Amino acid sequence: MAQSTYTVTGMTCGHCADAVTEEITTIAGVRQVDVDVAAGNVLVTSDNSLPIEDVRAAVTEAGFELVEEKA
Amino acid sequence: MNTAAKFGSLPRKQAPRVERTGTPMSAAAQNDAGPTADLRQVELSIGGMTCASCPPRIERKLGKLDGVSATVNFATGKAKVSYPATLTTADLVKVVENTGYTATLPKTAPNAEADKQTAGGEEEYDEHTRSLRERMLVSVGLAIPVIALSMVPPLQFTNWQWLALALAWPVVVWGAWPFHKATWANLRHGGATMDTLISLGVGAAFLWSLYALFFGTAGQPGLHHGFELTIQRGTASANIYLEVATGLTAAILSGRFFEARSRRRAGAALRALLELGAKDVAVLRDGHEQRIPIDQLAVGDVFVVRPGEKIATDGVVQEGSSAVDASMLTGESVPVEVGPGDGVVGATVNAGGRLMVRATRVGADTQLAQMATLVEEAQNGKADIQRLADRVSAVFVPIVIVLAIGTLGFWLAAGDGAAAAFSTAVAVLIIACPCGLGLATPTALLVGTGRGAQLGILIKGPEVLESTRRIDTVVLDKTGTVTTGKMSLHGIHLAEDVDEGQALRLAGALEHASEHPIATAIATGAQDRVGELPSVTEFTNREGLGVQGVVEGRAVMVGRATLLEQQGIILPDDLRVAKNQAESQGRTAVVVAWEGTARAVLVVADTIKPTSAEAIEGLRALGLRPVLLTGDNDTAARAVAAEVGIDEVIAEVLPKDKVEVITRLQGEGRVVAMVGDGVNDAAALAQADLGLAMGTGTDAAIEASDLTLVRGDLRAAVDAIRLARRTLRTIKGNLFWAFAYNVAALPLAALGLLNPLIAGAAMAFSSVFVVSNSLRLRRFRSSSPQRA
Repeated sequence: MAQSTYTVTGMTCGHCADAVTEEITTIAGVRQVDVDVAAGNVLVTSDNSLPIEDVRAAVTEAGFELVEEKA
Repeated sequence: MNTAAKFGSLPRKQAPRVERTGTPMSAAAQNDAGPTADLRQVELSIGGMTCASCPPRIERKLGKLDGVSATVNFATGKAKVSYPATLTTADLVKVVENTGYTATLPKTAPNAEADKQTAGGEEEYDEHTRSLRERMLVSVGLAIPVIALSMVPPLQFTNWQWLALALAWPVVVWGAWPFHKATWANLRHGGATMDTLISLGVGAAFLWSLYALFFGTAGQPGLHHGFELTIQRGTASANIYLEVATGLTAAILSGRFFEARSRRRAGAALRALLELGAKDVAVLRDGHEQRIPIDQLAVGDVFVVRPGEKIATDGVVQEGSSAVDASMLTGESVPVEVGPGDGVVGATVNAGGRLMVRATRVGADTQLAQMATLVEEAQNGKADIQRLADRVSAVFVPIVIVLAIGTLGFWLAAGDGAAAAFSTAVAVLIIACPCGLGLATPTALLVGTGRGAQLGILIKGPEVLESTRRIDTVVLDKTGTVTTGKMSLHGIHLAEDVDEGQALRLAGALEHASEHPIATAIATGAQDRVGELPSVTEFTNREGLGVQGVVEGRAVMVGRATLLEQQGIILPDDLRVAKNQAESQGRTAVVVAWEGTARAVLVVADTIKPTSAEAIEGLRALGLRPVLLTGDNDTAARAVAAEVGIDEVIAEVLPKDKVEVITRLQGEGRVVAMVGDGVNDAAALAQADLGLAMGTGTDAAIEASDLTLVRGDLRAAVDAIRLARRTLRTIKGNLFWAFAYNVAALPLAALGLLNPLIAGAAMAFSSVFVVSNSLRLRRFRSSSPQRA
């Protein structure tokens, strides 16, 4: 199991969180996605650590921007 | 047949009709053929969009279907979708619903009953408030017996503690669930808010009680909470704190509920704006006038606007000329003269003659709808104010935790044994969360709001009163705010040997027959000064220029100088000077002539409210910088500004740029309050740090603002700002005292001297103090002596 937190900008409401969750969940191996809209944090729990490009693509697809992966 | 040809074969007006009525397909298109080219259009109503990111998301989701393209307008809640015949509208609705929104097909006929139902539903609490209310009611109901049992020894029957536990656990687990959830969310990124403190206090009190009941001596039959002020160290496991856990939860939930209830309903400004528009329109089809609902109007349709009617949508005048009152949209107080070829804006009022207008923009493209978008963007862009209670908690929580750990360490080191040391540390956590904390902000807001209402200040978004940033600039809209927004007769300049009474009587009589707003102003003004007006014969209206007729046997003419020039009447020098002077001040000058000679110049202007100057003085006394903002020309604005005592003027601002002016001022580091009344002010009111609307203004402005000055008296703005400051001071005082009682009890807890009585007393005192401190706001007095 791996956990990573990403900073995503542009999310303003619950729908935004749903969109991001939905897109990231489609990446293979993702177990759980927790979004904190206020802080702009997305916590992803997955079987293996994910390539950031995949996550970035998913976030972009949802219409937001991935700023960084937090340590 | 190729695709292009097929598109070409569709009659131009058919596409919008399909879109309007939602009929799956026009007959022509159906016969026309191939499945690939057969694109249909439908306009869906989308519900549940909460922010500007929603429309692109729906567009993308719909776009993933083959051949579907969609444009979603956030402001109007409508999606225009074109889709191939292989799909049905039900498929589209399903996609939207799977994305987390609702979609409905447009109604084929206006369904008043359904509309009413939706409107009624929106009056109800939203989901969040409803759930808070439920939790609050249950928690209060369960907390009362728990508190009574714990605090009143005579009620403590054998094994009472187990009943208390049974009553307490739903409150602690379910009632306080929102706090636990928020605490967990905050914890994951290392933050501490008021929720953290509540969760900590409730959790510590409850878990300790559980421990004491099951592993300590508190579970034994015959437990009593005594009335001694100190207890022996080491007997902590005989005490339970269920009243702290339940009382805290109930009090804070109540506070949260009152706050949520008063919070503004999103989108209300938008609805008010869109309701401004005309509901139906007399459209000219095949030479016949036909009344149709506004949403069936298409670009290119020609419609008729009678005097006094609202213009249905943006368009170009085809026939007729008139004066259009656009003050509600543009803020311009002088009606605009329009004739063939001139553009007119939807929702403005035709004040003069009959017009034939060709629609150029409908629905979401109109200026009104765009204005709505601006308001919505401004409202969404407004950052949430960090709650004062949260900011205090962010500092307080780490201190409490450090103190608890310190206490644990100290008593361990002192060799009191692990159990005693641990219980003392927990006591620190139990006492940490003040019960008054949850009441500090809501009670102050509640009382402040109530007192405001008595003074004619309706506070819609009370949370703005909590804004800690001090307002330093107040932007005032001119028309309708500083001035009355209505034209009135301002003055009269007479040629030599002319009797004022006669000039007014003749001009007034003639203008009385006209409906033009300037004419009405003159007629009313004349009536006020000379009384009954004579009757007019042979009245003729010279559109856009003036009027003429016969009064008391004289041929009288009232109008612009150009009208007189056309008749070869020369304006004498002294009248010309008077006219030019009036016009340079932004006023309107009208010339009166009879028997071939110009006799007088009447000056008509928007009147300044009598209380405006006093109000502006009051605003200055509060240390605010007044700024006059208007769409009117610079000279007119400066004339008004000079009269009421404002130095800073921003004039000739287009309606859509008003919000930018506010943003710019904010960018300069100013904290801006905006006072306005018009639709054109709505976005600026939403953008401002504090928006104040005139109660006499439009619904759109009222909905977009934080405060409404019911009487439309600018002096109330002074009181409103004072009240806002007083409320904020009260909240700060409340927070201080809420914490003070508990901070005072902290050393007792750390020394291991806490008992349920002290804990309960600290809770009660802090709550009582907070409530009575808030009630002091009721003594707030208006600064202007004339008002209550």
